[in-house]
Amino acid sequence: MTEPNAVNPTARRWALAAAGLALLPLLLQLPHTFSLLIAATMAVVAWLSWQRPLPGLLRLLLALALLMAVFWWMGGLRFGRDTGCALLAAMLAIKPAETASLRDARSLVGFALFAPFAAFLLDQGPVLLVLGLAAALAGLLALQRLADAEAGLAQADGTAPTLLRVGRLVALGLPLALAAFWLFPRLPTPLWGVPERALARPGLSDTMTPGEWIDLMTDDRPALRAQFFGPTPAQSQMYWRGPVLWDYDGRSWTRPRGLQGQAPLRSAGAGFDAAGPGWDYQIELEPTDRRQLVALDLPVQVPDELFLSVDYSLYAPRPLNALSRWRLRSAPPARFDADLPAPLRQRALALPAGYNPRTLALAATWRREAGGDDAAIVARAMQWIRAEFGYTLETPLPGRHAADEFLFDYKRGYCEHFSSAFVVLMRAAGIPSRVVTGYAGGVRNPFGAYWMVRRMDAHAWAEVWLPGRGWVRADPTAAVAPERIYDTLEDRTLAGGGGLLRGLDRFGDFGDWMRRGWNDWMLGFNAERQQRLLQPLGIERAGNTQLTVLLALLALALLGAMAWLLARDARGADPLLRAWHRMDRRYARLGLGRAAHEPPLAWAQRVAQARPQATATLLPLSRRFAAARYAGAVEDLGALIRDLRRHRP
Amino acid sequence: MASWRDRLAGLARPRRTEPLPVRLDRRRIYVLPTRFGLFFGALLAAMILGALNYNNNPALLLALLLAAAALASLIAAHLQLSGLRLVALSADPVAAGHPLPLALLLHGAGARTRRGLRLQCRDATAWIGHLPPEASVEAVLYLSTERRGWLEPGRIRIETTQPLGLARAWAWFRPETDLLVYPRPEPQGPPAPSATDGAGPPRRDATGEDLHHLRPYRAGDTRGAIAWKPSARQAHLMVREYERPAAAELLLDWRSLAPLPTESRIARLARWVDEAEREGRRYRLQLPGQPVLGPAQGPAHHHACLRALALLPHD
Repeated sequence: MTEPNAVNPTARRWALAAAGLALLPLLLQLPHTFSLLIAATMAVVAWLSWQRPLPGLLRLLLALALLMAVFWWMGGLRFGRDTGCALLAAMLAIKPAETASLRDARSLVGFALFAPFAAFLLDQGPVLLVLGLAAALAGLLALQRLADAEAGLAQADGTAPTLLRVGRLVALGLPLALAAFWLFPRLPTPLWGVPERALARPGLSDTMTPGEWIDLMTDDRPALRAQFFGPTPAQSQMYWRGPVLWDYDGRSWTRPRGLQGQAPLRSAGAGFDAAGPGWDYQIELEPTDRRQLVALDLPVQVPDELFLSVDYSLYAPRPLNALSRWRLRSAPPARFDADLPAPLRQRALALPAGYNPRTLALAATWRREAGGDDAAIVARAMQWIRAEFGYTLETPLPGRHAADEFLFDYKRGYCEHFSSAFVVLMRAAGIPSRVVTGYAGGVRNPFGAYWMVRRMDAHAWAEVWLPGRGWVRADPTAAVAPERIYDTLEDRTLAGGGGLLRGLDRFGDFGDWMRRGWNDWMLGFNAERQQRLLQPLGIERAGNTQLTVLLALLALALLGAMAWLLARDARGADPLLRAWHRMDRRYARLGLGRAAHEPPLAWAQRVAQARPQATATLLPLSRRFAAARYAGAVEDLGALIRDLRRHRP
Repeated sequence: MASWRDRLAGLARPRRTEPLPVRLDRRRIYVLPTRFGLFFGALLAAMILGALNYNNNPALLLALLLAAAALASLIAAHLQLSGLRLVALSADPVAAGHPLPLALLLHGAGARTRRGLRLQCRDATAWIGHLPPEASVEAVLYLSTERRGWLEPGRIRIETTQPLGLARAWAWFRPETDLLVYPRPEPQGPPAPSATDGAGPPRRDATGEDLHHLRPYRAGDTRGAIAWKPSARQAHLMVREYERPAAAELLLDWRSLAPLPTESRIARLARWVDEAEREGRRYRLQLPGQPVLGPAQGPAHHHACLRALALLPHD
């Protein structure tokens, strides 16, 4: 027997292993160098403090060093969700400095179980859930080992029996956990918001600086998935409209704050053809931590929660930090804002002074030559670009006159450069124009009938305003390299015809289809879906009361089942004894129960005195029982048990 | 503080002493979360609340699974004790000041292995590491003793924090038993007075040195005791019987110690009884208001004398 408050090495190793395993999913979500630092710190601290706890001063210094590391990697003092997670990871890395006592080891395991939870705030993929479940199981195993250490069980059982015991507890709890998962009333709107990330993910935003999307253009993770109900647009029509950028400062395009609140110009009439082609679809957006949404050009019907602004870009009321799903309707515009109010027109023509003199000169020449014909200028520009420009992702850093350099020197670039320079040129020629960002194209998944758009499909194009026609899309990049925009992986493999590549591709499609199922079933379950859960039972929209009552009933039943399952092995030891006790209980109801010390025969005789009618049956029965149980007399046990069961006082 | 704790403990079953064997059933097993269990519960509650707020389903599932496992461990802790029987209890009396070994025989009914049971009685604790299904185990609690006389063990607590250390299940036994504590013998003092009538008659004793006489062999006599030469002259085997001068019978009289205070008298008498027993002398014990014990010798007499001394009224 060891001292109950000291932890034996086995239990200690388990506690450390559980903490490490719990930290793993979190580290996968943090910057890699930082994660490596944390993992190394944890290992070193655990190793150093194995014999005796680290001195307090060293621990303090270590904590300060890690704090500085957090601020170094997580972008200074800006505190976000990921900063919190990094801090938690740093704390957990130092916590193994004290695991010698039972209390410390237990609190290490307890806090460590918070790590997978924190990781889920950053990502909610299936791999992470598997890792989280493994960490939870390891945590429970460590708790079992620590409880063994508390009871002084120095020679604990092997891993297998411990695993079996813990596995049984988890298996027993699983139905209850699932019932609570589905039936515990969900919140339709959060009580408090999720803190944003300090490290923004690259993606569409309210600003665009040509050249900054280079990481995004190689990121093949999904950005959105869409499922069409009814007609599907042609692939060349799949422009997913995101933030519309108006203001140019010579370097970056930004979206003016004021426009966000302005509703579309209904009076001017976007001129949608109600009976014309329209696309009814559901869009599933991966979390971006930004408020901007994308929708097919142009969204006409949007859910009430979303804001549609004057330039038809969509905004959510709060940052999209979880997978979100929206049902939308879009239609190709017939006449899009045929009247342009003066303030907007002014905004769509503004250029910073002192930039891009060559572009301004060219525009002035073209304007002179074309006269009042805006459409001719646009066509001429597209013609020029198609003829003389090329597509590349390798672009030099822009100088002061970015548009000049692109149009007259390099003549190569990608969508950001094309759209930016094109709009500068148009504005210089006096044509109102703006940059639209979003995604273009998509891949159809053959397994589930849906389209997937990757982050690398991010795109920027231009819109020019032509009198009488309104805003018209002009995509100079598509004029140069249509295959780079509409061309999807599918087309490329069909063209290349590599069998292996196609196989890999199908595998990827299948994986994405599985992931979509996960998104749908696991992540998409919310208050709304929960309300519809009881539809098969005839309840159209289940309220919180109904859900709570159902959960309470189910929980009671499941707890009863749990207790019954756990207690079963206690009862079922000996069927003969059980039958005997049951008969005894029948007599106990008459006040003739057997006292604990009374031998069966003495009891039967006592009963026979009180109830002569029992003599004939009870006496031989108890004699047989005594013989079978104590004398080991060979008897047909089944018959005896049957007789005992049948016997009534 | 102690008063409400005592009052609360007084409400716990069993409220009266009870005859053995005692079986633990659900009416007398109590389960409450441990301190760590409360911490763990608060942690899980925070996780569930956060997950619900963010509608973060993987986090919610994980937290709920942990919570359900913790709940199952509560039931499992209860079942660690349920069906346990205290079959017998025994303790050999010891002198005050020595730890009194209180042996408990526990039987675990059912097909369940019980692990890490902690027994506690007063300030003594004992651990039962493993109790296999349908098996018995003996645990010994070493109770500290201060005073001679009856020691009421009071309630014996059995508890466990298995399987996860999140909940503590406990139950009380209140066996109907009183444990005897002999008086503490004085460490040193004058020797016991010899009996007034001097040396007694010699007593036969197989370990004596002087030959007393020969007698016929009886079954059970040792070989070494057979007198082979005289036997050869007889029709049957003869056995030597030895004798030795019996030590004088002692009279241990309460009254002879008149000037001493009561407890000192008891301590001295206890020492004399022990010494007489050790030296194999017969002794009588005369206590006030009680018939004389003895003269006799042997464990039963020793116990009777010490018991009488132990049970003398305290001052």
